Amino acid sequence: MGFLTILKKLRQKEKEMRILMLGLDNAGKTTILKRFNGEPIDTISPTLGFNIKTLEHKGFKLNIWDVGGQKSLRSYWKNYFESTDGVAWVVDAADGARLSACAAELRALLTEERLAAATLLVLANKCDLPGALSLQQIREALDLDSIKSHHWRIVRCSAVTGENLLEGIDWMLDDIASRIFTLD
Amino acid sequence: MSLVGKKCESISLHESIKDDVISNQVTPEDVLRLERITDTYLCSPEANVYDIDFTRFKIRDLETGTVLFEIAKPPTDFGVDNDSLEDSTEEPLDPNAGRFVRYQFTPQFLKLKTVGATVEFTVGARPVNHFRMIEKHFFRDTLLKTFDFEFGFCIPFSRNTCEHIYEFPTLPPDLVEEMIAAPFETCSDSFYFVDNQLVMHNKADYAYNGGINN
Repeated sequence: MGFLTILKKLRQKEKEMRILMLGLDNAGKTTILKRFNGEPIDTISPTLGFNIKTLEHKGFKLNIWDVGGQKSLRSYWKNYFESTDGVAWVVDAADGARLSACAAELRALLTEERLAAATLLVLANKCDLPGALSLQQIREALDLDSIKSHHWRIVRCSAVTGENLLEGIDWMLDDIASRIFTLD
Repeated sequence: MSLVGKKCESISLHESIKDDVISNQVTPEDVLRLERITDTYLCSPEANVYDIDFTRFKIRDLETGTVLFEIAKPPTDFGVDNDSLEDSTEEPLDPNAGRFVRYQFTPQFLKLKTVGATVEFTVGARPVNHFRMIEKHFFRDTLLKTFDFEFGFCIPFSRNTCEHIYEFPTLPPDLVEEMIAAPFETCSDSFYFVDNQLVMHNKADYAYNGGINN
């Protein structure tokens, strides 16, 4: 039995997954994380570091890392890539002005070797806001259809109403599980 | 649910144990092997060369969404370093202030099913690598629970939070009775490592007889 097989078996036993939430500042990463965990979302300030949640969901042990998206913090993102199984890329669908900056950051992320095996979930957040871009517009701006290196999906969601959050995250977890845990 | 949470700081451990203090040779493996609460702090307050500062503790009940306990450092404390504090005070500060926390809960606390325990902390000017917490909870000499979690990297001058959401361990009813009847004999040691070096050691004890007339 090779080392990787042993590792795989070990992780399978614990059903542990590491999810990294990234995106530009003010995209709503922390709000999504709090909403997902049933916390109030009325007093959320910019993340000047990280927020971690460890929880059990669908029989998996999830470790979710939400790292601040301000420009000065982005150079530190690489410190959180190791062992990441899934990336939740959060987009502010109502911020058309910064969509190209958002696309550039995502592009850079996808070239990272340590994220090569990670599943990508794009969360088009704030879809409930008037003026929010359509899913198709975001899909095109981020040029998602050209991504061949990662399993990906884009979901329109709202951290405020909770719409589609669970569906998106559950898709990501199932995709990860089908890759890293062998079926018994 | 009526739950009482109370915290008091600045309770120092007995002086006589001082010569026992071990220098920074303590490894994560050492503390994982511990079978009881330690008599001493296994590192000095000065070992915290990264200025890691815990600024908030919170416990919530996931079933009801109720916050059961929350304590935060007043905002005025933020950004004030200890040196200038010491300069401005006449009395010598207790070196172990802030390393010990006493919690007082009601018996209902032991009946909770799913709880979320949040810590918030800030770090100083130096990047922190491989930040790891090992926390052990005992009632007398019985190990109740061990947490072992790696935060990993912390950004210089960052403020970070971590919430562990977990099923409360199911304790046998007679053990629960004993724990309620023996306030502060439930204790915990929290060890914090950076790059496998012990940088902080905090202690806490717990009572579950809040609201009961003794």
